[in-house]
Amino acid sequence: MPPEVLLEVRDLHVEFRTRDGVAHAVNGVDYAVGRGQTLAVLGESGSGKSVTAQAVMGILDIPPGRITRGRILFRGQDLLKLKESERRRIRGAEMAMIFQDALSALNPVLTVGDQLGEMFVVHRGASRKDARARAVELMDRVRIPAAAQRVRDYPHQFSGGMRQRIMIAMALALEPALIIADEPTTALDVTVQAQVMDLLAELQRELTMGLVLITHDLGVVADVADRIAVMYAGRIVETAPVHDVYKAPAHPYTRGLLESIPRLDRKGRELYAIKGLPPSLTDIPRGCAFHPRCPMARDVCRTDVPPLYEVPGDRRSACHFWRECLDG
Amino acid sequence: MAEPVLEVNGLVKHYPLTQGVLFRKQTGAVRAVDGVDLVLGRGETLGIVGESGCGKSTVARLLVSLERPTAGEIRYRGEDITRLSGRALKAVRRNIQMVFQDPYTSLNPRMTVGDIVGEPYEIHPEAAPKGDRRRKVRELLEVVGLNPEHVNRYPHQFSGGQRQRIGIARGLALRPEIIVADEPVSALDVSVQAQVVNLMERLQGEFGLAYVFIAHDLSVVRHISDRVGVMYLGRIVETGTDTEIYDHPTHPYTQALLSAVPVPDPEARAHRERIILYGDVPSPTDIPSGCRFRTRCWKARERCALEVPALAVPEAFRAVGGPAAHDSACHFAEEKHVVADGNRPG
Repeated sequence: MPPEVLLEVRDLHVEFRTRDGVAHAVNGVDYAVGRGQTLAVLGESGSGKSVTAQAVMGILDIPPGRITRGRILFRGQDLLKLKESERRRIRGAEMAMIFQDALSALNPVLTVGDQLGEMFVVHRGASRKDARARAVELMDRVRIPAAAQRVRDYPHQFSGGMRQRIMIAMALALEPALIIADEPTTALDVTVQAQVMDLLAELQRELTMGLVLITHDLGVVADVADRIAVMYAGRIVETAPVHDVYKAPAHPYTRGLLESIPRLDRKGRELYAIKGLPPSLTDIPRGCAFHPRCPMARDVCRTDVPPLYEVPGDRRSACHFWRECLDG
Repeated sequence: MAEPVLEVNGLVKHYPLTQGVLFRKQTGAVRAVDGVDLVLGRGETLGIVGESGCGKSTVARLLVSLERPTAGEIRYRGEDITRLSGRALKAVRRNIQMVFQDPYTSLNPRMTVGDIVGEPYEIHPEAAPKGDRRRKVRELLEVVGLNPEHVNRYPHQFSGGQRQRIGIARGLALRPEIIVADEPVSALDVSVQAQVVNLMERLQGEFGLAYVFIAHDLSVVRHISDRVGVMYLGRIVETGTDTEIYDHPTHPYTQALLSAVPVPDPEARAHRERIILYGDVPSPTDIPSGCRFRTRCWKARERCALEVPALAVPEAFRAVGGPAAHDSACHFAEEKHVVADGNRPG
């Protein structure tokens, strides 16, 4: 039996009004995450991966941002139709977010104990003393040494890896069903990154949460995700079970990304490089947004926006020539 | 190895920590670089990897004489440049240039690209006669793959990758022999990173450059380097050719570092052993006695707290030879394969 679907994003469009015109940040994104599943959303800067997440969490700055179309269903309920007070009850308790930069996401003038405890005071009406005890428990759970003493410390007194653990603890506090992690380990060193990623994956399994992992690192994706959705210029260009993407990408952009990363296990010759630059979001190319950089581009790519074609094996690809791409 | 152009011996940089306003007294020191030896051969690439705070950027700043070392020597073509000043130092600097990490803050936003790339000629006017500079700048832009018509644009009109090309063009302007690049691609997106790495490799061949390539990304370092040094808390703990370090690491820190790198290949993850280090890097103001890695090392014994391991070929491998016989600063060095062989997708 497939797991209960927690989150469904349907045809989401987000735009920003800027001085240089309207920036089309998200242009029709669809994805779904079930209980206990990890979906990796992969993309480079400006691909719309974080904006989509912010729209789901309801923390998008409106204005300048604007959701122009689409639905965000959480357990079947359309979040975009809820009042702010109703969304606030869901945020934190049922879905939580982990940010990239823990130092700026935590409040510098409150102790970590107060910040963790606040979750219980606000959402569960706990007493201060009770909240403090729960905070220590949480810090233990994310394996912060000497939690009982450190609960009185301020964020700047922790190392980067420990701060990221506190962020994870805060997200887990109310045992939400869904966690969105936006580049949770990007700012960390590799050895610490491995510790934090392992912890997150373990807690996710233990609590059978749904996890949306936003990242630009193909290595991190391979290590933890079940499914992957690759974004480019505000659209999903490919989505598939994670193994299949690495074996045989069905979109030339995914293929290009995979080939352009240097490998640890061999010394390569010249790296494959995707030519050109990602498009400006105020001026996305007609047809397929990737066509100016695509080695397979033909006339149809310049005129027709490719739909997300169904590809055998529970996959989809937004490339007119996905068959050719699969064949290599 | 090719004839050395740069030799570093016992390089030390300590930043004093002081207390008191009127009667300042030194209460300790940040031991950012704490005895580093390096050799860079002509036209080769030496990669330096390490986590944040290991002192790799301080090494870079010392190599280009942006900072004066507390002790040790840096020999450029046999001459110790740490003692030079004035005109002699200026002459050396012409030959050792730097490319910085952040393409957003390392370019002056009020200067045009032409002025940025041409600025080295203002400081070293002997490098190009005044009438010739404009032409040289346009040439440089072309060499790094930018449109020479854009000389009058400002940095904000360029993307991150293009800005890093501007930084590289500036580094090339004086035709240096050595370029020290401190995390030159880590601020860039994957697809753009490959373009810049390829550019740097092409320029190396074209201009006979030697690179000191400093980065925290182990895959990028392997790709570009001939030899690699692994730094931990102010010291090089292991050094050798790229094959020696990546395929035959003998220092536990190198092994942990390599095993922690996420591999973009789900097949490979099944058959590789991951070594997860506990805890964080100790503070450089309070470096552990003996081996500085011992507080996080799963092999640490009493000897490690008492004796500083020297960076040399470990005894066990000296007689045997082979790729495991390279410099490693560990009392209990053992070879361990940690990088799984993956098959390239597609």
